[in-house]
Formats: sequence, structure tokens, C-alpha cells
Amino acid sequence: MNAPVLMFALPLLTAFLLPVIDRLSGLAGRWIGPLVLVGNLLLGALAWPHLQDAPLVLAMGGFRPPLGIVFYVDRMAMLFAMGVALGVLLLWPAWAQDKDRVRISTLTMVLVTATTGLALSGDLFNLFVCYELAAISSYGLAAAGGSAAAGAATLRYMVISSFGSALMLIGIALVYQATGTLNLAQLAVLSDALAGPQGLIAFIFILLGAGVKAELFPVNAWVPEVYGAAAQRVAGILAGIVSKLALLIIVRLLVLVFRQPEAQQILLVLGVLGVITGELAAWRAQDLTRMLACSSIGQLGVMFVAFSIPGPAGVFAGLAVALHHMLVKPALFLLAERWGGALTRLPGAAQKSPLAAACFVLLALSLVGIPPLPGFWAKFLVVTAALGQGTPAYAGAVAVILAAAVIEASYLARVAAHLYRRVTQPLSANRQTRAAVTVATCASAALVSATLWLAPLGNSLQVTAAQAADRDSYIHNVFPQGVQP
Amino acid sequence: MGWGSVLLEVTLMPLLAFATGLLLVLMMRRIRARLERRVGPPFFQPLYDILKLYGKRVQISHGFIHDLGIIMVVGGYITVEMYLPMPGMDGLAAHGDLITLAYLMMVPSLGMALGVGQCANPNGSIGISRALMAMLGYDIPFMLVIVAAATLYGTTSLPDIIAAQQGGGMATWGVVTMPVMAIAGLVTTHVMLAKEPFETYVAPAEIATGPMVEMGGKFMGGLFVVQAFQVYTAGALYTTLFLGGGTSWLEFLPKLCAVMFLPFAITVLFPRFKAGEGLLWVWKWPTAIALLGLALIYLRR
Amino acid sequence: MTPLDALLALSLVTLLLTLSCRHQVWCGVLTTLLYGVQLMALLFMSTSIHYGVPVPSGVHFNVLGFEMHWAMTPLAWFFALITLGAAVASSWYASTSWGRHYAATGGSPGLLQVALACNVVSMLLLLCSADLLGLFISWELVSWASFLLMASAGGAAVRHALHYLVYAVAGGMAVLAGIALVYVATGSLSFDAFVASLSGLSAGRLWLLLLLFGGGFAVKMGLLPLHLWQARAYADTPGPGSAFLGAISSRMGLFGILLVLVQLAGLARFAGLVLPLTPFTALDLLAWVAAFTIILPTFTALRQTDARRLLAWHGIGQGGYMLLGVVMGDALGSAGGLMHVFNHATYQAALFFSVSAVVYRTGTSDLDQLGGLVTRMPISFTAMLIGIIGLAGLPPMNGFVSKWLIYQSLIREGHPLLFIAAVIGTLGTILSVYKLIHNMFLGQLRVEHEHIREAPWSMTLPMILLSAVVFATGYLPGLVLRWIAPVQRELGLPVLDYTLGGYQSTAGSLDMIWVVTSMLGGFAIGAVLFYAGGRARRVHQLDNYAGGHFLDAATRYQYSYNFYPALTRLAAPLYRDSFQWLESALVSMLQLASAGAQGIYRSVHPSLYLLAAAVIAWLVWGGGH
Repeated sequence: MNAPVLMFALPLLTAFLLPVIDRLSGLAGRWIGPLVLVGNLLLGALAWPHLQDAPLVLAMGGFRPPLGIVFYVDRMAMLFAMGVALGVLLLWPAWAQDKDRVRISTLTMVLVTATTGLALSGDLFNLFVCYELAAISSYGLAAAGGSAAAGAATLRYMVISSFGSALMLIGIALVYQATGTLNLAQLAVLSDALAGPQGLIAFIFILLGAGVKAELFPVNAWVPEVYGAAAQRVAGILAGIVSKLALLIIVRLLVLVFRQPEAQQILLVLGVLGVITGELAAWRAQDLTRMLACSSIGQLGVMFVAFSIPGPAGVFAGLAVALHHMLVKPALFLLAERWGGALTRLPGAAQKSPLAAACFVLLALSLVGIPPLPGFWAKFLVVTAALGQGTPAYAGAVAVILAAAVIEASYLARVAAHLYRRVTQPLSANRQTRAAVTVATCASAALVSATLWLAPLGNSLQVTAAQAADRDSYIHNVFPQGVQP
Repeated sequence: MGWGSVLLEVTLMPLLAFATGLLLVLMMRRIRARLERRVGPPFFQPLYDILKLYGKRVQISHGFIHDLGIIMVVGGYITVEMYLPMPGMDGLAAHGDLITLAYLMMVPSLGMALGVGQCANPNGSIGISRALMAMLGYDIPFMLVIVAAATLYGTTSLPDIIAAQQGGGMATWGVVTMPVMAIAGLVTTHVMLAKEPFETYVAPAEIATGPMVEMGGKFMGGLFVVQAFQVYTAGALYTTLFLGGGTSWLEFLPKLCAVMFLPFAITVLFPRFKAGEGLLWVWKWPTAIALLGLALIYLRR
Repeated sequence: MTPLDALLALSLVTLLLTLSCRHQVWCGVLTTLLYGVQLMALLFMSTSIHYGVPVPSGVHFNVLGFEMHWAMTPLAWFFALITLGAAVASSWYASTSWGRHYAATGGSPGLLQVALACNVVSMLLLLCSADLLGLFISWELVSWASFLLMASAGGAAVRHALHYLVYAVAGGMAVLAGIALVYVATGSLSFDAFVASLSGLSAGRLWLLLLLFGGGFAVKMGLLPLHLWQARAYADTPGPGSAFLGAISSRMGLFGILLVLVQLAGLARFAGLVLPLTPFTALDLLAWVAAFTIILPTFTALRQTDARRLLAWHGIGQGGYMLLGVVMGDALGSAGGLMHVFNHATYQAALFFSVSAVVYRTGTSDLDQLGGLVTRMPISFTAMLIGIIGLAGLPPMNGFVSKWLIYQSLIREGHPLLFIAAVIGTLGTILSVYKLIHNMFLGQLRVEHEHIREAPWSMTLPMILLSAVVFATGYLPGLVLRWIAPVQRELGLPVLDYTLGGYQSTAGSLDMIWVVTSMLGGFAIGAVLFYAGGRARRVHQLDNYAGGHFLDAATRYQYSYNFYPALTRLAAPLYRDSFQWLESALVSMLQLASAGAQGIYRSVHPSLYLLAAAVIAWLVWGGGH
């Protein structure tokens, strides 16, 4: 069963072959990227039935773990890998611009490779490599707009990201020094060696490193600027997809390796701070892109809080919020392509594009957490799981999350009010492109169908989360004959 | 109670109340006269005044609501009298209690306000505004008296309150069992009569007699009738709550006169409060005394 | 298919039909008819409800392990009756010339009808919910439907609607927190699990549940101090929309309180819950919140110069009566409180319709710009007169009966100060509504209003019908008390032993049949005495005493500005807008924090701050270990 490996290899190959293909045939160069992504989706669909009972463990080149690189493909990993393919397909940046089409396509394919690798990897080194690949391709994509603001924003992003990557490398080095291995399953077996202060420091460093992409509180200062200056499709990819995959690193580490309560506490505190600062900054925002960027910081904070809850309940809640955000945020960023800029420019937009405005309202309602939309169920899972812990810290986190929902409702309703204000001469620049309307409608339809088929979806997700949170079965799957030292 | 006796009582009670009210108005004018070193009007003067007013040839009306206002004032008080027990006649008091009576007493004020409203004269409207503010003032100690009486007697049914007081002789009268409340009640009765020093709503020099500015002829006659009702009702209510009502008119009438003597005497001696001053005074002294009385009642329970 | 399923399906169909034909001229007529059909479907269930048998729904969902089902209980039926009645009246009014005038001035009557239909559907779902999850989902739907109705006018109304939305979502989140706590404690969201979980709760937990659920529902109801949004939001909603909102929308909060705190938790539980360091219980706290909700908004209403704001503020104040009656917990008080919900809906709707008719004809609702309209719009005047007598709680209208019941209860339960608070509210109401009717209909008729005609029959007919209901239910209060008895039984409160005319007891009785008949008789005698006194000559309003001056049409001879100067002067130092100051202080703090957060994300060299923060965190935390 090599489909997952193909999901990683094909985009990488395409990325490096793309300039050549484009030179040979312009048409092929234009369409090969999306085709490969469709192929990824099909491969994922092919592999999905095989994951029902047990995850797949694929050793690269036949080298057995812990020496070799291993791909651990459980349901959660495949879900995210397919999510990457679908998301990037819908938000394919190169269609929006003709100038640097080849370069952008190449960078996007590298990003797809990297994020798929993040989803599927089974050892820390591979994770780091893929993380760096994702970072570098995102620098390129962010700056691809060509504007001075994009360049300046990318520069600042690079500084923070490099700092984060350095920290991550140090953290990995500390882990290696303590345990002598970088394979996640073996680390899980040897996690006692990381139970002390050295392990905690290693976790913090890796957390801060991965947290740059995952918009974790202290290292997320780059987010509003970059999302505001880069092309909105790129912002959608970064906010909607890449951030979740970076989060996935932390989730795997928490579940498998770092199981001390201090790690969870740190994640909780940083998540709460992220929620507070993100939502408050969004409240003040005067343009839609910055608002959406800060809002995604807040939502990711909620995810951090959810994942800091020990046990399968936490993973379930976090997964629900993450998948919901992955569905909603890219669509919103795509709508912000035309509607970005000052909020005062928006009145009359609903007269120009009524369907897009209606979709915006639906997506916003789900983001805030209004029942019966899926966003409410995700938030409800987080709230109940957190309150179930019974400690005042988690109760405080729940209070913050609920208060943040109020602030979210306030500013999103303000935007909706701007959209629906009647003006005699609506700006034609406010008319949405057909692509944006299509994607937004698809996202809304997905939300509505998710609402209607909530029960089976929820059960399936719960199984996925239980599988992902099951540490013992992870170890057993990677080392069926027991652990070799 | 058969229909015949009900109808008889319902007709007699307003008539007797009117007659007694005329008597009390006469008493008021005689007391004022004596204190001003005059003789005072003859016995039937209040009745002659009303008949004179009704007999005027020129009477103006500003519209249907103007007429309706006077109808509501007179009719409202006639209804009030049906619910206020007299010696030997309970009327409809079994169907409406003390709270109902208090609210029925507000209906004539509303009627007057509506009637004056259509007169389209600002003097009248200012007068009504002051009258309503004054009502806000005196109704607070008035309601405190009501709640005290209801708490003490354990009922708001007026015949039962009278029976409770008549059963045990003078020792069970309200004046004896809740003396502080009785003082508050007396002050409140004075304020309710809207005589000096609480007569801001009339103020002849300031607002040209306020609500009465466009009332003449039968309109003014109706207001005179209502004055008689008003004086009677205030006195009868106080007598019912604090002096044990009256087993017969021989007992009831002297009690009424005794109750109304003090307000009538005091009113001669005082000038008028300014609009806000009266309100503030009522919210201070009678209210404080009433609250004290209420606290005493609760402490004793 | 049970009768409840039929009703819910009907309201969904109404919504869909309204949505699809909202641009048609006959849309309003269609919706009115459909609401009428829904009302009939509701009345079809009345026999079962009267015997206290709830009507279940055949529909139920199982989501993520939670059961959601619906049932029409007597409590739900009572509120649903008021909802559908208000919907019929509002939809009727909106489909008349008012709708055409509204469309001509740039509004969208179709959107108003759609919003109204959304409100009805979500309210019915809320009323019939039989588990906590369904309750919350429909609660949020009701909040957003109200927002849609408030914002449908566009313009300045949207600002107040957004203000409302913040409050509503905050309240919803409080309810969600309460529900999540219940789930965590019991693992289920059914009503039975909730009741079972309450028996072992500590006092602190019980207080938390009371604050969360009570606070969440209190926002919708407009109880102090969460009332600041209501008056402006309701007043700016277009005509019949504000009638609907004022009649029933805020009472959904009361429904929530009745369901969760009275029926499920039980008042006895809160009677034993003592405020630490004081002799007061939670019930005392609720009673005094209700009392202050009666007094303060009523006197704020007194100071208003816009007729619609005045009525909206009174709506807030009357909610206090309802809660006060219910909190007393005895047969009289709870019956009074529940009856007040019905009574208030009837006369509030009549008053809003009357004011809307005046706005329709004159173009303004500013009380300082009107006057003397009684000669030109007598039917609107009559509707307003009956409405204000009802609002003030004077006999012979229905408002008096519910207030009488509440007063009796307060006296019998031994709460003299609460009684005085309620009375102060009534007196303030009398003053305020007199100012309303005087400045609008009495006094001098302005020159520019000389030509005004009465509102068309289509608009006055709903007013007349509502006024007739106000009078009829005042005459025969037993008709309404009949619906309330099963509600009291369901809520676990003692049931009122009512008669057709009111209530009989040895400690004070009320028989409205006698009272109203004697009043009418008294007025008849008064009329006889009046008309027997000779003819009166009708004179023009300018033929008036003016201290010797000649009056002409250009002279403004109306007393309307600052109608109660002494009261305003005395109350001014007390009315320091403390609640608004509190709200703006909170908002300022939030803006400060928000500016700080935005500063974090704007910093040029975040790495430096990052390093500094990391070092500090390390020192703090490392030092602790």
C-alpha cells in the first residue's frame, strides 16, 4: 500500500519538474499542479478504507524503524493530508496571477509536499525537514505578491520563523541527547527520560518553533501583517491549512512523548493568551483581512486549549475545531480577496454579490458558534471537555473562550451590517469573482450538510480521535514485535 | 343579598355620601370663616352653589373628551362610594376590597386629567401636571397605610376590617392599635384633600386656578359635587381604617367631623407649598412616620 | 403526526412561503392568514393542555449522543398563544397601508414579514423544547431572529441592533456555560438529569447555576442591570415589529426563567440559598432585582420625549412585575405575574399600533411636536386611552387584575417594601402615560396637523380588536386565569382558585364583573347628571383663557415640554445614568485591552520582546520550581 508515499512524492516531483513541463507546454504547466492535487485526493480516497481497522506504517526504503524514516498513516493523518490537497486545490494561488505563475506553482507544490509530510511523518527529523520546507515555501508565497508591504512583512516573518526554527532544532537536539532516538514511537517508549526539566525545556523549544506556523501566542506577531499583505489565497492556505499541520506536530508530541502536566499547562496558558489577544485585536481591526487574521489567532488559541486537555476527549474537541476552521477560514479569506481593504468600503457589497454575502453570514455564524451549525458543536465539545477537568484553570479558559465568542459575534456582525447596508451606488469593486462565490458556496453547502449529517460525522471523528490519542497502539503498530533498543 | 337590596344600597350610598359631603364642605367653610373672624355661609350654601352652577345659561365645552372628563370624575366617585361601607350598608364592598377602592379613587383623577387636556389651555395642563405629581407624593404614605392596615387586620376586605374593630370596642380601634400609623394617616388625608398647604395644582394667581380655568357652569358644578364626594371619601376611609367605622349614623357622623376638623383647621392657617416643595415634604415626613409605624407593626408580630 | 408536529410544520411552511414571495404585494395578507391558521392549530390542542397533558412531538433527533425532542406543555401553550396572537396582529398591521407607506419611504415590508416569520418559528421551537440542548439551540435562533427584526429597518436601527446582539450573545454564552456544567455533572442534557443533578449541589455551585441561567435569560428579559439595549433597539424597529418585540420577545427570557429556575430547579431550592454574610436569600435578590426593574425604567420612561422610546421603557418596567409575581411563589402572585404577560402583550401592542398610526399620519413621534389629535384621530385616541388605562393598571382594564393579584400576594406574603416599590412603579406609569396621551392627543392642535385624517380602517381595526380584548379580559379575567391554572400546576406552584370575575377569599376578594358593571353604571349616572344640566356650547380651541391676550393659530399654546418639572428637578441628582456609565466603563476597558493586543501585533521588532518575555517567564517559573 504505497498510496500515502505517493501522496508525498508526487507533489515533490512535480514541483521540481514544473519549470521543464511549463517550457514544453504552457497548458500542461498551468494544469499539472491541480491535477496532481486531484491525484493526491484520489490516492487518499483509495487508502482510506485500509485505515478503518489499523493505521498503516510505511518504512521508507525498507529500513525498519527506529533507524529508518517511517510514515505513520492513521485516520487523522490521512484526513489532514487529504485536507491539504483539497484546500490547496480550491485556493490554487497561481490561477489568480499570470506573472510568476511557474514560480508560484512550484512553491505551492513544495508546500503541499511539506504539509503532507508533516501529516504523515513518524519521526522528529522528518517533521523538522518538512517544517522547514513549508516555512521556506511560505516565505516565497507570501512575498509573491510583489508589493513592498508583502516584502517587508515576509522579512519580519522570516526573522521570527528562523528564530523559531533554531529553537526547534535545539529542542530536537535536546531530545536526541536525552533519548538517543528521533523516532516518535521509540520516543514514546522512552518518554520517561524526558519527564524531567530537560524534557520540559525541549518541549517548550519545539513548541515555540512549531508554534510560529501554528500562530501560538508569543511567536505569532507576524500573522496580521503577512496575512494582510500577501495574496488572500496564500493567506487562506497559511491560515487554514498550514497552521493546522504545524499544530499537528505539537499534538503528536503531547500524545506520545511529553506527557507531563506542565506541558499541558503551558499549552493551556499560551492558548488562552492567544484567544484573548487575537479576538481583542480583531475587534479593533478596520479592515477585513486583518480582522480575519487576528480571528484565526483566536481560533487557534481555542484549538491549543482543546489539545491541552489530556485524553481522547481533548483530541476529539481539538480535531473538531481544527477541521471546522479548516473549512471556514479559507473560504472567508477567499471572499476577502475582493472585500479586503477598509470596512468603510464595504456598504453595498450585498447588493452586488448577494450570494457571497449570504455565504459570508453563514460562515461567520458558524465561526462564532451558533447552533445548529458545526462550529457550535466543536465549541461545545471544547467547553464540555475543559469543564470536565474540573480545575479552576480550565474553568477560566472556558470563560475566556465564551467571552471571546461574544467579541467575535460583535465584530463579525459589524462586518455583516456593513455588507448589507443599502447604498445608492455600490462599488463595482465589491463584486465577487465567480471562483470566490463558488468556493464560498461550496463551503456553506459543506457546513449545512455537516449539520444535517452531524451524527455519523461526529462518530467517525470520535473514532479518529480515539485512534490518534491511543499511545499504546501507536507503539504497537510501529514495533509489532516489541521495541528494539 | 337580593337584587332589590343591592340596587337600593347602590343608589342610596352615593346619595348619602353626597349629602354628608355637602355637610362636611359646609363645616370646612364655617371653620374657615370662624378662624377668619367671619360668620360663614348658611346651611344649604354648598347645595345652592351647585344648583347655581348647573343653572347657568352660558356653558362652554371644548369637545367630547371635555364632557367625558367631567362624566368620568362624577361617575368615578359615584362608583367609589358603592365600595365604601356605611353604617348599615356594605354596598358592593364584598366584591372589591381596599386595594380596589384605592385604585378606583384614581379613576376620577384620570378623568379630570383627560377633560382638562382637551381644554387646550396650558394653565390647565400645568395644573394637572402638578396634581399628578402631588398624587405621586401622597400615594406613597397612603399605600403604606393600606399595607399596614392589611397586615394588622389580616385582610383587605373593608367590612371585615370594620367588624374586627367593632368587635372589641375602642381598644381594637386602629387609632389605639397602630397610633403612629394613625398620625401618618391623618397627615395623608390632609394631603389627599389637596387643600392648603398642598393646593399647588390650583394656584389661582399663578396658573389661573389650573384645571378649572376653562370649567364653568355644569362642568364646575360637577367639580363641586366631586369636592363633596372627595371630602366624604377621605374622612370615611380614615374612619373605617382607624376609628372602627360606625354602627349607626349617630356614631359615624361625629367621627367623620372629628377626623376632618384638624385638616380643615390647619388648612386655613397655611400658605401654599411650591410644586416641588410639597412633594419633597410628603416624601419626608408622612412617609417617615408611616415607615416607622409599619416597622412597629412588624416588630409586634 | 401529532398536533404539535402540524403546528411546527405550518410555521416552517409560513417561513418558506414568506421567504419566496416577500416581494409580492399580497405577502402580508398571506402571512396573516397563515398565522391565523397556526393559532387555530394551537387552540386545537387546548383541551389536552387544559387537563395538563402535554402534547408530544413525533420528531426527535439523536445528535452526538444527545436526545432532542419537543413537547407542548401548558406553559409553552400559554406563551405560544400570546406569540401567535401578537404575530397575527403585527402581520395584519404590516400588510395594510402602513406597509405600502413603509415601502415608499425606503423600507422593505417583505423583509419585515420574513423576520417576523423567523421569530415565530424560533419562538415556537424554544417554547416546545423538552431538553436542554434543544432549548439552547432554539434560544440562539430566537436571539438572532430578533436581531434580524431589529436590523431590518436599516440605518440607525442597525447600531442599536448590534448593541443588542452583543448582550444577546453574552447571555447565550452564559446559558451555554450553565448547560455545559450540567452536562459535565450528569453526562446528559435531559431535563430529568438536570433535576437529579441539583439535589447534591453545594451552595456555591447552585449560585453559579443561578447566575449563569438567570443572567443569560435576564438579558433577553431586560432585567436590571442588563436592560440598556432594550429601549432603543425596540423603539427603532419599524412599527408592527416593535409591537411584536415589546409584546412577547422579551418574555421569552421570562419563559426561560420559569422553565429552568421555577419548574426544573424549584423556587424552594433558591429560598434556602442564602447570600453570604446577609440574611437575604436568592429569592429576595430576584425579588429586589424585579422591584428595581419596575421603578427605574418607569421613571426613565417618564423623561422620554419620543413616544416609542417611552413605550419601550415601559415594556422593560412591566417585565419586573411579571418576575416579582412569579418569585413570590404563591397562587396569587404567580397567577398575577403570568396573567401580566398576557395583559401586557395586549395593551402594549394596542399602544404601539396607535403610536404607529400617528407616525403614519404626521410623520413624527416626537411628543414635543404633536398635540390635539383627538379631534382628528378619535379611534387611535380611544385605542391609546384603553391601552394606557391597561398599562397603568387601573380598573376596568385587564392590567388592574394582574396587578391586584400581585399586590395581594405581596401583602399576604409579608413584603411591604416590595409592595411600595410596585406601587411606585404604577404611579410613575400613570404619570408617564398621561404625558404620552396629553402631548399626543390632547392640548392644542397644530396648524400643520389640521388636515390630518384618521388612519385607514385596515390599521384601526387591529387596534380596536386589541382594545376590545383588553376590556373583555378586564371584565372577565376568569377567561385568562383559566389558561394559567394548568401552567401553575405544571410549574409546581400552588394553583389559583379563580372565578370568572377574579378571585374570592375571606382576606379580600375581587370580582371584576361587579366592579366594571358598577363603574359603567356610575358613569351612566354621571352622564345623566351631566346631560341633564343644560346644553353646553362647543367652542374652538383658540377661544380660550389667555390672560387677556388674543390667541391665534401661530401662537404655540401647548404645555408639553418638560411635563413634570418638579419631579424632573428632584429626580435629576438620582438619575446619573449610572448603568450607562458602568457599561461605557466596561467598553472602555475592553478598548484599552484591545489596543494593547493590537499593539502586540503591530510591534516592529517582536523578536526582542519575545526574548525579553521568554527570559522573564523563565525566571519567574524557573524561580518557582
